[in-house]
Amino acid sequence: MRHGKYPFIIGFLAVPVALYGTFVVAAYVQTFQLSFTSFRGFGAATYVGLDNFVRLWDDSQFWQALRNHAVLLIFLPLITIAIALVFAFLLNVGGGAKGGMQRGVWGSKFYRVVFFFPQLLALALVAVIFGRVYSPDGSGLINGLLNGGDDPILFLADQRWALWSILAVLIWQAVGFYVVLFSAGMGSVPQEIYEAAALDGATRVTLFFRVTIPLLWNTVQVAWVYLGIAAFDAFALVNIMTVDRGGPDGATMVLGMLIYRNIFDYSQYGYASAIGVVLFFLTLTFAALTLRVTRRDTVEM
Amino acid sequence: MATVSYNKATRIYAGQERPAVNELDLQIGDGEFLVLVGPSGCGKSTSLRMLAGLEDVDRGQILIDQRDVTHLPPKSRDIAMVFQNYALYPHMTVYENMAFALKLRKTSKAEIDRRVKEAAQLLQLDEYLSRKPKALSGGQRQRVAMGRAIVREPQVFLMDEPLSNLDAKLRVQTRSQIATLQAKLGITTVYVTHDQVEAMTMGHRVAVMLDGVLQQCDTPRALYDTPQNVFVAGFIGSPAMNIKTVPLSEQGASFAQMILPMQREQIAAASSGGGKVTIGFRPEATDLVGPHEGGLPIVVDLVEDLGSDANVYGHAALDGGSERFVVRTDRRGMPSMGETVFIKPQPNHVHAFHATNGNRI
Repeated sequence: MRHGKYPFIIGFLAVPVALYGTFVVAAYVQTFQLSFTSFRGFGAATYVGLDNFVRLWDDSQFWQALRNHAVLLIFLPLITIAIALVFAFLLNVGGGAKGGMQRGVWGSKFYRVVFFFPQLLALALVAVIFGRVYSPDGSGLINGLLNGGDDPILFLADQRWALWSILAVLIWQAVGFYVVLFSAGMGSVPQEIYEAAALDGATRVTLFFRVTIPLLWNTVQVAWVYLGIAAFDAFALVNIMTVDRGGPDGATMVLGMLIYRNIFDYSQYGYASAIGVVLFFLTLTFAALTLRVTRRDTVEM
Repeated sequence: MATVSYNKATRIYAGQERPAVNELDLQIGDGEFLVLVGPSGCGKSTSLRMLAGLEDVDRGQILIDQRDVTHLPPKSRDIAMVFQNYALYPHMTVYENMAFALKLRKTSKAEIDRRVKEAAQLLQLDEYLSRKPKALSGGQRQRVAMGRAIVREPQVFLMDEPLSNLDAKLRVQTRSQIATLQAKLGITTVYVTHDQVEAMTMGHRVAVMLDGVLQQCDTPRALYDTPQNVFVAGFIGSPAMNIKTVPLSEQGASFAQMILPMQREQIAAASSGGGKVTIGFRPEATDLVGPHEGGLPIVVDLVEDLGSDANVYGHAALDGGSERFVVRTDRRGMPSMGETVFIKPQPNHVHAFHATNGNRI
């Protein structure tokens, strides 16, 4: 075994590393290179130094996109995790401890499946469906129910509502997955801990805040990072659902959309790459900061 | 400070015919240390959890201090429990673990502090109060679990095999600590274990269970001296009692070449057993005798030298089958393996049981 060890390891490593190098690392390197050029999709790439980044600094659309990301970054993780934690708690331990086992509320098996449905739909499909739901005329689900289409709320066309409407869809789509994630976490908490808490006199509310959440902290932390990264994306929904792809008037503009439009609408490959580089560092910084700030003693069971 | 009564308390798990606990009748006195003991699956833990409110009571009732608690939730029963795996909250310090229940009961900060410190001192946990459970040894965690129960000052302590996760030496040490502590606090305690040594050494009374049915509840001495049926006789005592079913004669039980005399009433009671009677004699109530004194010859399979004395395990051909026996002997007469020795039960220490229903006669 000792002699065969290195060929064995290299054999398994070589292919993934080669694939990763070709399709991930090389792409990153090219993007970094392009971000220092004025490449327009054809011809030679001219080196322009930091010009793209300087231009970005003065680009109001870029700042608009950052503001939108900030909103998503605050509310997407917060609301999704809150809803998912409550649902997971109700599904797993919220039903009390009748009969010796901690159980979910009545019908929890059914809800577990239903909550996961949105996760099974392709994002593009979700976008199309909610495009209809938000539709301003009477055929739109919400406006139709509200007042039959008279004096509709312009969810996607009103600057005040557009971003929040997108946020709502992101949350709707994400909650199911995090319910499953948190359910798994709660399943790994020993039954006896819940029993001890019941004997100590914990109500459902105290159980949730004083026992369940602290024990799930690691999982919540991971969820926060995932959702934060998702908040830096949101491209698919914006591309399909919003007015003017990022509108109205930049109200739903995100960096992904900005990159896409710079490449495919304006052929600004170099400039788009520069935005990509900025997005890369923003996401990286966010993930590192989140892990750092929320770090606590790991809890062992 | 309270009494506990089980009145025909029954627990039947969904989809099972046989009750896990079958009409348990048990009165536990104020300040008493009662041990529930039995092999795994006998319903002892279920009985305890019924008292705790973690398990439903399907029939019958449970009273604590004359109050019907049968359908009250755990927190309204004024009890504290020590779990087998301690069930400490991993995210709280030792102090917080002990204070949690008091905090939820809105006890004043000063009072919480006083009680936790007091318990910590009693359990020698002072220096660990700010540690998390994972930074503690098994024995320390066990003491924190005890502390968490003590600070509550409950009416009843419940302990579910609290020592089974400790190593042998610590177990013996903690065993006496718990017994001492209970005597000092005087709180009614129900203690579940599968270890009959624990049961015999700790309990004021011991309740032996099998298949959800209470077999006998008595003082350790009474259980040892007068086991009420074959199961209790075999379960209590280590090494276990030698139990054989042998032919019944007019003078008593005929065991090998010996007649073990029984009283007339005993013989009368045994007569419905199809001409047989079950006899039991403890290894320590059996003598090794010379070859011509009418003892049963056994071939020695194994000798356990315990230092103070020795257990001799052997087998003998009896009624066409090979039967195993254990004899406790002092070290001087210790036989070696393969040797043939002669054993003779001390006649006045022979227990007799009905051959078919197993009850003491």
